Amino acid sequence: MSVHLIIKSLLRRKVVTALLLLQLAVTLGLVVNSLLLASAAKELVEQPTGLALEQILTVRVKPTSAAMRVEPALSEVISRQLAAIRQIPGVEAAEYTNQIPLRQGGSNSNIFETDRQDESNVDSAPYYNTGSQIFKVLGTKLVAGRELTELDKGTQNLVLTEKLAKQLFLEQNPVGKSTNQGTVVGVVSDFYSQRYTSDPLFAAINFVPMARAEMGYQLMVRVAPGQSEAVRQQLTDVIRNAEPEMDISTVMRMDENRDEVFRSEIGLATLLAVLSGLMLLVAMISAYSHAHFHALQMQKEVGIKRALGASKARVLLDVLSESWLTTAIGAGFGILVCYALNISLAKVISIPAVPVWLPLLTVVLLLLCVTLATWYPARIATRISPATATKTL
Amino acid sequence: MIKINNLSKIFRTDLIETHALRQINLQVNEGEFAALTGPSGSGKSTLLNVLGTLESFDQGDYLLDGRSVKGLSDRELSALRNEKIGFIFQGFNLIKDFSLFDNIELPLRYRGFSSAERKRRVEQALETVGLAARRDYHPSQLSGGQQQRVAIARAIAGEPRILLADEPTGNLDSLMARQVMELLEKINQQGCTILMVTHDPDQARRANRHIQIVDGQLNDATMYEPLAAGA
Amino acid sequence: MEALVHNLKLSWFSIKRAPLPYALTLLILSLGLGTFFSNATLYYWMNRDPIPEKSATLFMARINSVPGDCTDCFEPPRVMSYMDMQKMSGSGITSAEAAMFSSDAYAKTVENQQATPSQVELRITQRDFFKLFNVPFLHGETWPDNKARMEVVISKNTALKFFSRTDVVGQEMLIDDKLYTVIGVLDDWAMLPRLYDVNGRRSAEPAEDIYIPLETAYDLAIQSNTQNSYFDVDWDGNMATYPQMARTNFANQLQFWVQLDSPEKVQQYQQFLKNLVADEKAAGRHERPEANKLDNILDVQKAMRATNDQLDAFALVASLFLLVCVVNASHLSLNRYMANQYEFSLRRALGASRWQLQGQILADVLLSSALAFAAALLFAQLGLWTINSLLPSTRALASWDWQMLSVMALVVLVISYLVTLYPALKTSFSPLNQQLKQ
Repeated sequence: MSVHLIIKSLLRRKVVTALLLLQLAVTLGLVVNSLLLASAAKELVEQPTGLALEQILTVRVKPTSAAMRVEPALSEVISRQLAAIRQIPGVEAAEYTNQIPLRQGGSNSNIFETDRQDESNVDSAPYYNTGSQIFKVLGTKLVAGRELTELDKGTQNLVLTEKLAKQLFLEQNPVGKSTNQGTVVGVVSDFYSQRYTSDPLFAAINFVPMARAEMGYQLMVRVAPGQSEAVRQQLTDVIRNAEPEMDISTVMRMDENRDEVFRSEIGLATLLAVLSGLMLLVAMISAYSHAHFHALQMQKEVGIKRALGASKARVLLDVLSESWLTTAIGAGFGILVCYALNISLAKVISIPAVPVWLPLLTVVLLLLCVTLATWYPARIATRISPATATKTL
Repeated sequence: MIKINNLSKIFRTDLIETHALRQINLQVNEGEFAALTGPSGSGKSTLLNVLGTLESFDQGDYLLDGRSVKGLSDRELSALRNEKIGFIFQGFNLIKDFSLFDNIELPLRYRGFSSAERKRRVEQALETVGLAARRDYHPSQLSGGQQQRVAIARAIAGEPRILLADEPTGNLDSLMARQVMELLEKINQQGCTILMVTHDPDQARRANRHIQIVDGQLNDATMYEPLAAGA
Repeated sequence: MEALVHNLKLSWFSIKRAPLPYALTLLILSLGLGTFFSNATLYYWMNRDPIPEKSATLFMARINSVPGDCTDCFEPPRVMSYMDMQKMSGSGITSAEAAMFSSDAYAKTVENQQATPSQVELRITQRDFFKLFNVPFLHGETWPDNKARMEVVISKNTALKFFSRTDVVGQEMLIDDKLYTVIGVLDDWAMLPRLYDVNGRRSAEPAEDIYIPLETAYDLAIQSNTQNSYFDVDWDGNMATYPQMARTNFANQLQFWVQLDSPEKVQQYQQFLKNLVADEKAAGRHERPEANKLDNILDVQKAMRATNDQLDAFALVASLFLLVCVVNASHLSLNRYMANQYEFSLRRALGASRWQLQGQILADVLLSSALAFAAALLFAQLGLWTINSLLPSTRALASWDWQMLSVMALVVLVISYLVTLYPALKTSFSPLNQQLKQ
């Protein structure tokens, strides 16, 4: 049926048509932006962290007796625990540390080059008080200078991440430079440290004994590929056997820690995906219900057209093309709503801009849904004999 | 022009079998104005529907303009209906959302005429029925008689071979009914064959042939001259 | 009244005639309402004024005192040092003031020393905390002064958990193996949102279990479990030197809250801070530019950038979803009324006035509202469970009080009426003869 005719008859039923277009437009705008947020969250979660997420386990422990939380008892306990952990088959390395990477917040300190505080100060960079196997556990690569060894224990020698070194020293060789936290002896590849510091890829590593454990400490374990579950099951018992007077938290794998960091984004994205599904469902229910109600009128009209010589296929096409045209017009407005909503959301939350293909894909999706919903009543209408449909009651 | 041989139509439900038409034989020639009367339930509407290919039939054969309709596909049947037959219903059956112009134009679109050709035919049809001034009106703005005239215009715009009218004046008062009948007579004089179902014997007398149907069987009763127009 | 019942019956019959379309319309409407309500609930709890009787007088004070000359650093850190706290206190302008931070520890009772200790949430603060936030005491009272004391105030639930009764003033507890005496037990209390400590997006956390004096915490090296920021601190990690180090270095972990009872007091305190910074600069400290902040309690989430952005985004989307559902429901409702037009017209022909028909419509609205409200509550509860599981930080926020329920019911009523309004007007006011002829 001609576009012209369909538009004319839509204009005759202004209110119903306006309602229909409005719901189509807003649905399209919402679905597209929800999908955008969902994909942005996915990207955030899947960004490279510089860590082998499935091969690192972490567990927070705290001695229950105050005496064991200070030196020298503390270091003694930690050595025993690490020795026991390193014996577990599948474990490649293990080390203690004051805090783990891939967290929202934690302990951090300002760092600057000595005598250049005003120019080089970084307000907050996480610092790791740890031991010699840490580089093996993290899986970092040496970029400059050397890694820390046992000999560096208790000194103020530092290893920085590459991004932090560049921030502090720009193009100069960082090795040998002096900072307020110590002297740089090496630079390693970046890894995701803390989300809410000056930069998530900043970190400073230092070898010191744990010194105090009022907040507990972390044990980090690197396992061979595929061994994380096997090791995880044994880990708690091994630690407890090494020293019973311990509070041992849940053992986490690094990817689970990562999910915690981005939990809010993931949560929102899931919520919006659910909502998008609901919206499409509502659109389908609406299209079906609308067709259902208009079935009687549709049947009559279909009967008249058949009496005038339109074939079944022709009439079915007429009914569907009215749905399609309405959906397409609604979708046209919908694209405007898309961009408008995107701009509004961008004021509240970080959301990527709308790529051209996404609204078009959603329009196709909408058309499919509406066709599906309208198909059944339309089919029934064409099956009825025109004689019945045109009968005067 | 229309030839029916031994045609039967049976309506079947789970419990009942109704023989609406029983082995009917009928021939309507070109240019005839035939009236079809009968008591209610006699099958006259069914016969009209079968003639219009709106209903199928169970036995016998139907030749429309020399061509058998048996075994035609839906597409062929629709095309046949579109070209050869014009319908006029008791309830007018105009499409509410369309203007008069669009209503009359609709069957012409199915025919595939060009836009200019369609326009020409619609305007001519509106002239014939005397509603040219109201081409952009909608059916709800017209009286019953006017609506029926639109329906007639729609039926003749494609220059069909036969007009099938099912109680065309059933919903009209006597004045409008007379106007519609005069219009039909005029169209018939111009050469269009008309088969009209009616239960009004006066109308039946205006036709030049009178067919009676009782219990699904025909009785061709025209044996007298039609009364003069206007009587 | 009888007319209302009669009309309700008619509404019910009308529904029974075509139950599926009606049910679908109701489904769509309650889905939109339910989603909206679940979000509105969280939004309400996150953004309400939890202490309206004195929120205008409560402020968090910060100064930009961290060392280092950074000429374009105009944002003070989120947490203050002990030295900052000392300088900001004692002005005589405030009617109450307290520094605070949160921590955690393991506690057990003296009688039950062999048991595994339980983890407890600590609030380290000063005596005015309870006055500042109108925290009610069930037994006992706050500390007599701000000196270091081995005395704690505990929550009601903590008392019940460790002692199985609430009247425990004078009892002793071991917290991280140190002995304390209970001097006060609080009544049931929570501030939601927890605006006195929003750092780390923790404004939906429950109130703490045990309160310990600030000086005691510094003496025993109890530190914040939320944020510790060290600026130019040179310390070897030796616990013996911690109390001295923490009090004389920029080892920041505190929030400092004051109560200023009138706008004049607010101005006076702002001037006091200005003078303080001037003095510091004269003495060669506070190299960064002056950037004093006196944030009112209701602004503190914004100031600490601890607003829940996800919730705001979801609020916008949920509102639009409601719009979509209302529009859908109106559309379907219009269809339904048009289908029933014949019946309306018939009754008009039989003598019913337009206003009597309005009564019928009102009955329809009442019935729809009741059903929609029930369904919407169900969906809202489902929505809250879903949101809580996906955004765990919202867990404490999911409950309804009578006020909220009545507001929700009103919203449902109004929306049901709006959805029905246009179709109803159209059908009862359009010309009679047209409708009957169909």
